[in-house]
Amino acid sequence: MNYKPDENTLIAYLYGELDGKEQEKLAQYFQEHPEELKHVQALAQARVIMGAVNDKEVIAPPVFMDDQSHGRPLWQTTTVRWVTGMAASFLFLMVAAKLIGMEIYYSRGEARITFGKKQGVAQTDAVSRLTVDQVQTMISSSLVENNEFIAARWADNQRKLDESIRHRLDVNSKKTEDMIRSFVDGLQNENLRSMKDYLQLSSAEQKKYVESLLVDFSKYLQEQRNQDLTLFQTRMSSMERNTDQFKQETEQILSGIISSSAGKKENNY
Amino acid sequence: MHSDTLIARARDGDKNAQGKLVQLWYKRIYNYSYKFFFDHDLAMEAAQKTFISMHRNVGGLQDCGKFKSWLYTIAVNYCREELRKNKSNRSLSLHDLRPGEGEDSYRWEESRNRSENPESQLRHAELSDLLQKCLTELPQEQREVVIMKEYEGLKFREIADVLNISENTVKSRMYYALDELKRILDRKKITKESIGYEL
Repeated sequence: MNYKPDENTLIAYLYGELDGKEQEKLAQYFQEHPEELKHVQALAQARVIMGAVNDKEVIAPPVFMDDQSHGRPLWQTTTVRWVTGMAASFLFLMVAAKLIGMEIYYSRGEARITFGKKQGVAQTDAVSRLTVDQVQTMISSSLVENNEFIAARWADNQRKLDESIRHRLDVNSKKTEDMIRSFVDGLQNENLRSMKDYLQLSSAEQKKYVESLLVDFSKYLQEQRNQDLTLFQTRMSSMERNTDQFKQETEQILSGIISSSAGKKENNY
Repeated sequence: MHSDTLIARARDGDKNAQGKLVQLWYKRIYNYSYKFFFDHDLAMEAAQKTFISMHRNVGGLQDCGKFKSWLYTIAVNYCREELRKNKSNRSLSLHDLRPGEGEDSYRWEESRNRSENPESQLRHAELSDLLQKCLTELPQEQREVVIMKEYEGLKFREIADVLNISENTVKSRMYYALDELKRILDRKKITKESIGYEL
């Protein structure tokens, strides 16, 4: 049998991709050529060893950016947005001008912007016909009038201010008096209450003190009596002991005398 | 991982669906790129370019069922492009400048499972890095196949679609890749037993 597997077959065997018939043929070949089997086993071992390579941890970019603008609606394009914005601003200005009644004139090198009621433009003709003296007189009279008006206004304001100050002072002084009065009343009431409380407290405490003093005195008397009694008892017992001792000594003396007299009698005999 | 409806919505220009696809696939594409380069910055670059390209071209995707292969095709192309650029302009990432040893190593912080014993985490991370280095020693064509098959779980048919080669060529590359890996592991004296001891 001259069957010799090529490297493709051996790799297919290594990865378990051979069909049954091919596998049998290869098994028979390995029986006849154990060195080939050993080689394939070594390759398998190399695979196992290389399997110890780890994957590296990596974080995918969170946002996927797209800078191409295909598929964008027409109304979202920059040009349309600019034109729409400008048109909207112009329309807004026109509406606002209409509402506040604004008008703009330009005639004979003079530009005018008016708001509200339209003013006559023809006045300029009348003004241009006046002489310098007339204008001066008009200015002077206007100034005098203005001064008088200002003076009258100033006097009036002064008077009103004085009245206001006086009124404020009255009101404030009245308020101050009321405040002081209420404060003094409050203070008096507070003092009165404090005094009353103090006296009540003081009398109650004094009573308690005297009571405790009396109780203490009776206790003292009792204690004194007890001590006297103890002293008396002690002295009595002391006297008793002395008496007993005296009795014993007397008895001893007597017995001594008796024994000595008895001895003398015997000697005499 | 997701339904065809999500891909169809993304294809029709639904930004939320596209965002959702990014959330679902970012980790996979990043990890494919990371294993390909063994460099965080290059992997981030390739992953970001892949998803920007996905966003721009998903409208032209004919078959929603081929989204996975299509996405990996983009990722593979960007990885190859970055590798070409990187070959002509070699630079060292600050990340890899001085990994340190033991507790000083940033790999301690990178370790995956925080509930594990810290020492075990560190060993696991260092072992993972060691094996990744072995992977980078493979030729580019073999590395692509190994990563897609072993870590991304693609079928041989899908890998063939991604790389636009025949299924047999994929299997052949896989065989030689495993053979080469075995040689590299033997040279570095990394065995199944030593791995078991480390873990």
